[in-house]
Amino acid sequence: MAETAITAPLDPLEPRHLVAPHHDDASLNETLLAHVWAKPGKGWFMLFGVTLSALGLLVIGVTYTLARGIGVWGNNQPVGWAFDIINFVWWVGIGHAGTLISAILLLFQQKWRTSINRFAEAMTLFAVMCAGLFPLLHTGRPWFAFWLFPYPSTLGAWPQFRSPLVWDVFAISTYLTVSALFWYVGLIPDLAALRDSSKTKVQRVVYGLFSLGWRGSGRHWHNYKIAYLLLAGISTPLVVSVHTIVSFDFAVSLIPGWHTTVFPPYFVAGAVFSGFAMVITLIVPARKYLGLRDVITDRHLENMNKVILATGMLVSYGYMMEHFVAWYSQNQYELWTFYVNRATGPYAGVYWLMIACNVITPNIFWFKKCRTSIPIMWVASIMVNIGMWCERFIIIVTSLSQDFLPSSWAIYTPTWVDWCIYIGTLGLFGTLFLLFLKFVPAVAVSEVKELQLELKHAAHLNGHGTHGAH
Amino acid sequence: MNTKRDGVPSQDTSSFALPVVSDRPAPAADAVGEALEHAAANASATETGYGRTYWRSLEEKLGTPEYLEETRPEFPVGADLAPSGFVRREFMQLLGASLALAGATACSTRPQDERLLPYTKTPPEVAPGNPLHYASGMTLAGHTSGLLITAREGRPIKIEGNPQHPVNQGAAGVWEQAYLLSLYDPNRARVMRQGKSPRALRVLAEDVANLVNKAAPADGGARLRFLTEPGNSPMMGDLRNRILKKLPNARFYSYTAMTQDAETEATRALFGNQPVSARYDFAQADVVLSLDADFLESRPANLTYARQFADRRDPKNGALNRLYAAEARFSITGGMADHRLRVKSAEVLAVAAAVAQAIGGPAASVASAAAGKAQLRGTSEEVQKANAWIQAVVADLRAAKPGRTLVIAGERQPAAVHVLAQAINSALGNTGTTVHYVQAPVAEPFGLAQVRALVEDIKAGRVDTLVITAWNPLYALPSDAGLAELLNPATNPDRAKLSVLYTGLYEDETSQYVDWFVPAAHPLETWSDGRAVDGTVSIAQPLIQPLFNGMPESELLALFLTESYRPAYQMLREYWQGQATGQADFESRWETWVSEGIIAGTASPAASGAPDFGAATALVSGYNPPAAPAANELELNFVHDYKVFDGRFGNSAWLQELPDLITKMVWDNAALISPQTAKDLRLEPGAMAELSYGGQKLSVPVWTTPGLADGTVTVALGYGRNGLHEVVAKGVGFNANVLRRAAAPWFDGGATLTKASGSYKFSLTQTHWRMENRPIALDMSVSELAHPSKETEHILERVQGELKPGLQDNLPSFDYGNGYKWGMAIDLSRCTGCSACVVACQAENNIPVVGKEQVARSREMQWLRIDRYFEGAESDPKMVMQPVMCVHCEKAPCEYVCPVNATVHSDEGLNDMVYNRCVGTRYCSNNCPYKVRRFNYLHYTSGKTSTEKMLMNPDVTVRNRGVMEKCTYCVQRIERTRISARVEKRLIQEKELMTACQQTCPTQAITFGSLNDKQQRVTQLHEDERAYKLLHELGTRPRTAHLIRVRNPNPALEPAKSEAATEGSH
Repeated sequence: MAETAITAPLDPLEPRHLVAPHHDDASLNETLLAHVWAKPGKGWFMLFGVTLSALGLLVIGVTYTLARGIGVWGNNQPVGWAFDIINFVWWVGIGHAGTLISAILLLFQQKWRTSINRFAEAMTLFAVMCAGLFPLLHTGRPWFAFWLFPYPSTLGAWPQFRSPLVWDVFAISTYLTVSALFWYVGLIPDLAALRDSSKTKVQRVVYGLFSLGWRGSGRHWHNYKIAYLLLAGISTPLVVSVHTIVSFDFAVSLIPGWHTTVFPPYFVAGAVFSGFAMVITLIVPARKYLGLRDVITDRHLENMNKVILATGMLVSYGYMMEHFVAWYSQNQYELWTFYVNRATGPYAGVYWLMIACNVITPNIFWFKKCRTSIPIMWVASIMVNIGMWCERFIIIVTSLSQDFLPSSWAIYTPTWVDWCIYIGTLGLFGTLFLLFLKFVPAVAVSEVKELQLELKHAAHLNGHGTHGAH
Repeated sequence: MNTKRDGVPSQDTSSFALPVVSDRPAPAADAVGEALEHAAANASATETGYGRTYWRSLEEKLGTPEYLEETRPEFPVGADLAPSGFVRREFMQLLGASLALAGATACSTRPQDERLLPYTKTPPEVAPGNPLHYASGMTLAGHTSGLLITAREGRPIKIEGNPQHPVNQGAAGVWEQAYLLSLYDPNRARVMRQGKSPRALRVLAEDVANLVNKAAPADGGARLRFLTEPGNSPMMGDLRNRILKKLPNARFYSYTAMTQDAETEATRALFGNQPVSARYDFAQADVVLSLDADFLESRPANLTYARQFADRRDPKNGALNRLYAAEARFSITGGMADHRLRVKSAEVLAVAAAVAQAIGGPAASVASAAAGKAQLRGTSEEVQKANAWIQAVVADLRAAKPGRTLVIAGERQPAAVHVLAQAINSALGNTGTTVHYVQAPVAEPFGLAQVRALVEDIKAGRVDTLVITAWNPLYALPSDAGLAELLNPATNPDRAKLSVLYTGLYEDETSQYVDWFVPAAHPLETWSDGRAVDGTVSIAQPLIQPLFNGMPESELLALFLTESYRPAYQMLREYWQGQATGQADFESRWETWVSEGIIAGTASPAASGAPDFGAATALVSGYNPPAAPAANELELNFVHDYKVFDGRFGNSAWLQELPDLITKMVWDNAALISPQTAKDLRLEPGAMAELSYGGQKLSVPVWTTPGLADGTVTVALGYGRNGLHEVVAKGVGFNANVLRRAAAPWFDGGATLTKASGSYKFSLTQTHWRMENRPIALDMSVSELAHPSKETEHILERVQGELKPGLQDNLPSFDYGNGYKWGMAIDLSRCTGCSACVVACQAENNIPVVGKEQVARSREMQWLRIDRYFEGAESDPKMVMQPVMCVHCEKAPCEYVCPVNATVHSDEGLNDMVYNRCVGTRYCSNNCPYKVRRFNYLHYTSGKTSTEKMLMNPDVTVRNRGVMEKCTYCVQRIERTRISARVEKRLIQEKELMTACQQTCPTQAITFGSLNDKQQRVTQLHEDERAYKLLHELGTRPRTAHLIRVRNPNPALEPAKSEAATEGSH
């Protein structure tokens, strides 16, 4: 009875399922927790081996950097920032999807977020951890990097609050803290479910500890819901603020190519763009191998592709405005940066790759066929991530390498250490992500159950001729 | 993590404060032992190049009883001290090297009982922490320039020009500035040796005495030869005469790479074989024609000439002079020229002859002797252009008032061109006004002819003993000079019959083939004297006792007198005492000479008689010009390097890392060709090529420089060194001497350049030479400045106009009250780009050298850079130089982005850099539109040997890894001056404070002072109509103003309105 009710189209505009129709609470529990209890397969171990090796590169790269100084990177005069800040911005951008999905879509009551929010939040957390490495490492004397924090120093010296780097410190640390809290609070009911279905004592004790004594009482649910909503409220401005502040690192300066008022919205759009692309990149294989196709349905993927299309257009608009303003101002230095250096300069290849990936690629999502084709969206998502990395390269390296006085212009080339650290952070990210998949449910089980009940309820009402649910 | 503290000497404290007075518990038994000990103690990581196996065998050798016996000192220690009285001796023991007089003990054996003692009675002039200044001198290739050296706690740390010296007038060039580094160079030779065995001075003295005692009665030293640098030292001249008295048949030959052969030949011919040299007065010259003469940079008189010339480039001093230059290479002088004619070096004779012919008078008759010797070649258009140029020059020379012009021939040009130049000068009435003939400071003949005579002597078997004190002749001589073959046992079967003694600062290319090697004392370690180019004698006092047990050249030559040992100090003093017989109070006169560094009134007197062009015409008619290059051949040009000269400064890392003045290349030389020639030969810059000439081949990479004459290739000498222990110089660049022949030491046709496989990576500090139409280094004609066109007005408005409040000017203003408001002005009209300021800054501010690889990564550390831009067509561009260092913005973009307050605005307007607060985010550098900040990407200051540490200026922090640095306007000098000003309760005067760059600038292009004082020169320059601020429109309000460079083009050659200077294609 229930089954037929759910399979019936709920709404002509939402023809696809958010949860496959044949599940009840028990089967959802079984499906969604299965990958935690199952012994990791060969594939998991192989991937883990790969990511651990990459993590090893990070250890090598960082150790060498700390021992010799950042001269082992390719940074130079005038290109004071390069891979370090490119990777920083790239990773922070990737982190954006998590907060957006968790917080904003929650506040807007977008039910389809439920199946993917845990995933995206974990991604955010790990991406911000990777990002956080760079500001620390990129300083010449990282052992004094704590001077960027305001603390009661015996020197009586404070940070310089006019510097966007100090704003960065606050923005990134706040973001990391809130993201971690948000993710963990959301996990508590699921950790309790894991505790309850534990098969060994160790599992029960560990999951029991982390579930903070969750019993699922009405009072618990009440407090939990309020806390979750509050955190969502706190996170929401962060979605905008973090990348806005990151963009200030550039916009506040006077280098042509950096000194641009369009940067804050353009950076935020770019961040969401790359964040969603990264979610697609990860979720497509994950849902297949973790057997989550029933809860992460094609409709989720399609919706995310729509977000990618929309933010991709915003990013393209940003590029257009940069070039337009340069032309409109007729500022000699800006004209050089945007029309000569970027398009035809020594890094023109990177520029055109960026255009191909960020401006052209998302347009395929105008077509439903592409939006719903798994291979196409997966490749496109990877291209978007490459494109966004190129964008940061273009903004940072190209602008710095040719600024005001031609006498100081110089080429930047990365060294093996730069690549080691970049690949190493991918390894760190992958390692953390695989551990996450192993020990924590990748989908918010309690929320899916809730959604399923809501859908059932709605279907029931619908069956009685009233309006449909979302 | 490396948290090594800055500037603290690691363990070796003995040589830090007072390096000479050893506090080692067991002093070595003798000189060689101490040298060995020193070498062993200092054989740190950076010195591994210093012959590892060599030392091991020496130590083994050292252990044998025979050796110990052999090296036992003959006399009790201290017996050789100058009998100079109780007070002085105690004084010396106390102060060690810190006082100049201590150099009186600059001998090889030292008292054993020296101990470090605290100052119980401090001499009034010695206060720890306060610098002392000593006048001294640097002799380079037969000319001594006057120095003023700053010493701190016994260590010389900075060299400046002696303000009292008539040539220097306070200025110094790159070589003087870098002279200090060679003093402390850990690669310097330390051991006197015979073959491979270390020897004591006593053994050498005995050897020499035996030789002399045998030779003197037998043949009067007929089989003894000396090869020395030109003798411009009166004391050495006297010594030489005394040796010749003892050994009348011995012969002295002089040679130096600094060639004045041609000029000397010409003036000798003009003055009946008298030693005469020409001195020029650029202050009087309204029109100057340079025939391949790089008089602004080529030694020895360039400091004076540059200053005189620059004074005539300032519109405030009246009408500008006009400089025409004809040259094949692109020289500094060519860059300053109003009109530059690109011709092959061999065609300069044709230019000279054409001008002479047109001027007429005595010049015409000399010119007719040159008929057919050379002619302008090239396409008819090029020849037409050159002829128009020559006509314009002639017209201009004629139009000028008589005696107000000057024609000067270059050192690379043959005597014929010099004679022609002097003939033109004479015809134009310049003799006595802009051209003065004086008695040459170096009376003896010197040059390649002397070497030829020596080689013939040796070949004929007339020589048993050869003593070489000239710098490294086996490297510096042209490949066919023949001396190397004679000294090399592999090529000379009779080598065993010849005994060669060589003294030098380094074990170099020459020392490998000699029988005796004597490490020379650095000239800053001993007493000497020498004549400057104008004849003025300087007394050069030592600043420190010999660090590496070197032996002064004078003491070495004195061994041939077989008299009892006298230190250089004693010899010098006695010589000058002898010169001053009959004059009262020698002591006080001597002290004046020593303290002032010059002996007043010793300038060369004018030459007697007038130039006789009739006699000199033979030089022109006898000149055999090089064959014109065939169609696919190039003219090969050799030039002295602007940095390492003939190679003798090759081991100076400062100079190796100094960007070449024109190419901005570091740590290399290259085969320089014009872009057109490169296109014709299908050679890319950086491609390896084979340069063949006269049957010799050199594999050398190619680099293009706009403005070189087409069909020529220019290679700088002084590179490709492979001296035994010259670690810095070794393997840098390519040795062009292998192609050089004595017959054509400077240029010749018949060279070919063919592409070889492979490419070569050069390190350049500036890779982009166009300004991209940005108003950066402004440069216009005087008339344009007086009556600006619309376009110029627009540019001037952009760089000088009022800033729009709120738009360009939106940071808060500072109030300086009545205090200081430091500022600087740099006059581009005066700046030749000589780069002395760059090295001065490096020395003053403890700026590290980073090496070729790091420069390739664009991480050079020099705070002051000289931007060189070309304007106009790539084939024949104009060049403009622009020194840029931190401009100390009033509203500084670096300050507001530093997250930790490490770069802050001082209450006197400086952008202070707080090294110990810097965490190294590099945000300041990114946001600096001038890109003047330098970052310590690696620990560039680590691994200094104990002598290198002595070089550091104690007033300036030695920066650690991970720290940003930049020009401070020499804040340490400001602070030091402030002390005396504050004690006297007054403001710092303009005259008493100079930044290091300003101080050394030969053309006084840099001015520094407080902008709050309307009287100061810097304030007046800021208000000059030529003053503008670099990137003014950004609203950074720089404290450094640049002054527009003005040119004075000849309207006949450059119509005033033809300023549509289209830029080249690169």
